[in-house]
This record gives sequence, structure tokens and C-alpha cells, in this order.
Amino acid sequence: MAISLEQMVSLAGIAGEVMLKNGAETYRIEETMDHMAKACGASAVESFVIPTGVFLTVTDGDGRSLTVMRRVHQRTINLDRISKVNELSRRLVDQRLEYENAKVILQGISKERTGFSWLPSMLASGAIGGATAVLQDAVFFEIVAAFVAAMLVRYIAHIVSKLRGVQFTFEFLGGMVVALCGVLLHSLWPYLRPDAVIIGGIMPLVPGVAITNAIRDVIAGDLLSGLSRGLEAALTSVAVAMGVVIILALRL
Amino acid sequence: MLVLKIMAVLLISVSVGILYRIPRKLLVYVSIVGIVAWLIMYNTMRLGGTEILADFLASIAVGVMAEILARILKKPATIFIIPGFIPLVPGGDAYITMLHMVEGHYIDGVAKGMQTILTGGAIAFGIFVSSTIFRLVKNYNLESSCQDAGKN
Repeated sequence: MAISLEQMVSLAGIAGEVMLKNGAETYRIEETMDHMAKACGASAVESFVIPTGVFLTVTDGDGRSLTVMRRVHQRTINLDRISKVNELSRRLVDQRLEYENAKVILQGISKERTGFSWLPSMLASGAIGGATAVLQDAVFFEIVAAFVAAMLVRYIAHIVSKLRGVQFTFEFLGGMVVALCGVLLHSLWPYLRPDAVIIGGIMPLVPGVAITNAIRDVIAGDLLSGLSRGLEAALTSVAVAMGVVIILALRL
Repeated sequence: MLVLKIMAVLLISVSVGILYRIPRKLLVYVSIVGIVAWLIMYNTMRLGGTEILADFLASIAVGVMAEILARILKKPATIFIIPGFIPLVPGGDAYITMLHMVEGHYIDGVAKGMQTILTGGAIAFGIFVSSTIFRLVKNYNLESSCQDAGKN
């Protein structure tokens, strides 16, 4: 069973694209593509990944080589898919999986709605807000308000994700809504303080994946990806802070 | 009160896991990482350590636990790192910074902002240190154990 060069490139290319779209580290994507193409019989593989695209050159046994480039516009966070592609590549390398099956499984992974739907993620977001308020020694009604504010943040994410190609809008709007919740609460019931509500509400907006990937990319030597992800994390934090600051400034 | 806070940290870690869609079976491990890290931070501060030292020690613990769990369960370490360090994020300091800035107390704001940035940097550097140690160990084992596999 000979796997053609086009098939190798297509399989590894899709794997890389799925991993990049769902927030994997750069070195993990490059290694996965290398392993998968070599498991299919490639003699040499060169891969280059930046946060906005995947480049892959595969050379087969006859010395022919083929390069593909896959541009990635829309990135989300879905660690479940990354872990599944990782598993798939391990099985392919251990010869526990045929090429045809791997292709079908990979296409399934990229299409399926894995993990949790939007109502559980809203509840989870609210729980982050409420629990953070508990850590800030808030009273009961402040905790409830933080829960609601953090849930609203997730709902905004749900709406904004439909408008493609706008960066940092969601974080900015999220910061504004959270600050608005806190300030409104304080003006309606002056004995409740806005602090815990705002701190709890901005917690779901912390760019956890960007921070972690930036660190891990820099350690692995992918300075370009590390820098751009670090910048993404910094700009996200600034967007959240500006959203909060504008509302706080309006009140005064 | 402490029990209530530990429950809150558990809730944060699990919820972050749900938000970033980590595989459901791993939510248990993720919550353990979060609680252990937060307890390290809490006890360091209670014993008189600064916030920066506390967050640094806690995030080293996050990195070490995440890398060990990643080796045992054969999953990417990122899955365990992110929910582990979110409870350590200095959200309160960031808010106080914004408040000072808005009220025009720029000196207080810059001082608090510097503390926030350093605390965040301590978290990042803690993960950096532990990940680097594991990468060094891995590279050392590769160098000493295989002659034929080579590099790439």
C-alpha cells in the first residue's frame, strides 16, 4: 500500500491546521506534522508554523517534494481537539491505524462539536466569576452579581464570535459590561461594593491560552510565535482594562 | 472560611477547564492541580512571604504537576497548566491599579501596576522554569539513550 505524496501532504496539513485553529503550541504542531508524514512513508519533512499559518514541505522516497501552505484566519480554543489529534498521531506512528482511517477520523475531529455547548460554558464562566468573588471575601449578593456579570461576558462572546475578523472587541466589550454591572450594583444598593463584582467578572477574560503558549513557544525556541502570542496576551489585557477604566471614568 | 475558599478554587479550575473545553475525564486532575497551587500561594502569604514569591512558588508547582501528569496520562501539558494558574492571577491588584488611574492617583497607580505586572511575571516565570527543567531532562535522556534516532 503506497500512500501518494499528495495524500501525505494533505493529511499532515489538515492535522496542523486543526491544531493551530484550536490553540496548540507551535512546536507541538510542527512535531505532529513531522511524525504523521514520516509515519506515512515520507523521507524528509520540513514544517514551519506561525500563529496565522502552516507551511509544510514533504519529500517522498523518490525524491519528489511538495509544499502546501494553509492560512488560518479564525482561531478558537478547544483543547479537546488538540488532545484528540495528538492521540491520532501517536496511533499512526505506532502503526495502529491505517491512512484511510486516519483521514476520516481527522475530518471528523475538525467538524464535530466537541466538549460543551454554550449554555454550560456560560454557567462555567459565571462560576469563575462567582468563585473569584468568594476569594475576594465578598458578601452573598456581590457573589451573585459577579456570577451574573461573568455570565454576561460569555454571552457577549457568543454574539461577537459571529462577527468574524474583529480582534479584541470581545474583551473590550466584556470589560465594559462587567464594570457597568459593578457600578450599577453600587448605585442601586450603595452598601454593596463594586470591587468583587468587577474582579470576578474580568476573570473569564484572562488570556490563559495566549500566556501559556507564549511561554512554551519561547522555551521551545519559536521566538516569532512566542513574541506574537505574548503581544496577543498583552493587548487582550489592555483591552479588558480599557473597557473597565472607561466605565469607571464615566461614573466620576 | 478556608474550606469555602478551597471549594471556590476547585470551582474556578473546573470551570476554566470547561470554558477551554478540555477532555471531561481530566477535570478531576485539573482541579487537584488548581487546589494544590492555590494552597501553596495561600500558605506562603500567611507565613509572611510577598505576593510575588507566593505566586512564583505556586506556579512552579503548577508547571511541575502539569508536566508529570502530561507524562503519565499522555496528554498535552497545556491542558493542566491553564486551569492551574488562573486562580493565581492577581485580578484584585489589576482592579486597584485601574481604580487609582481613573481617580488620578497616578503614583499609587503606577506602584500598584508595577506590582501587578511583577506578580504576573512571577507566574509566567514559574511555569517557564518548571517547563525548562522538564525539557532539559527530556533532552538529556534523548542524548544518552539513543544513537540511531538522531535529531529529526
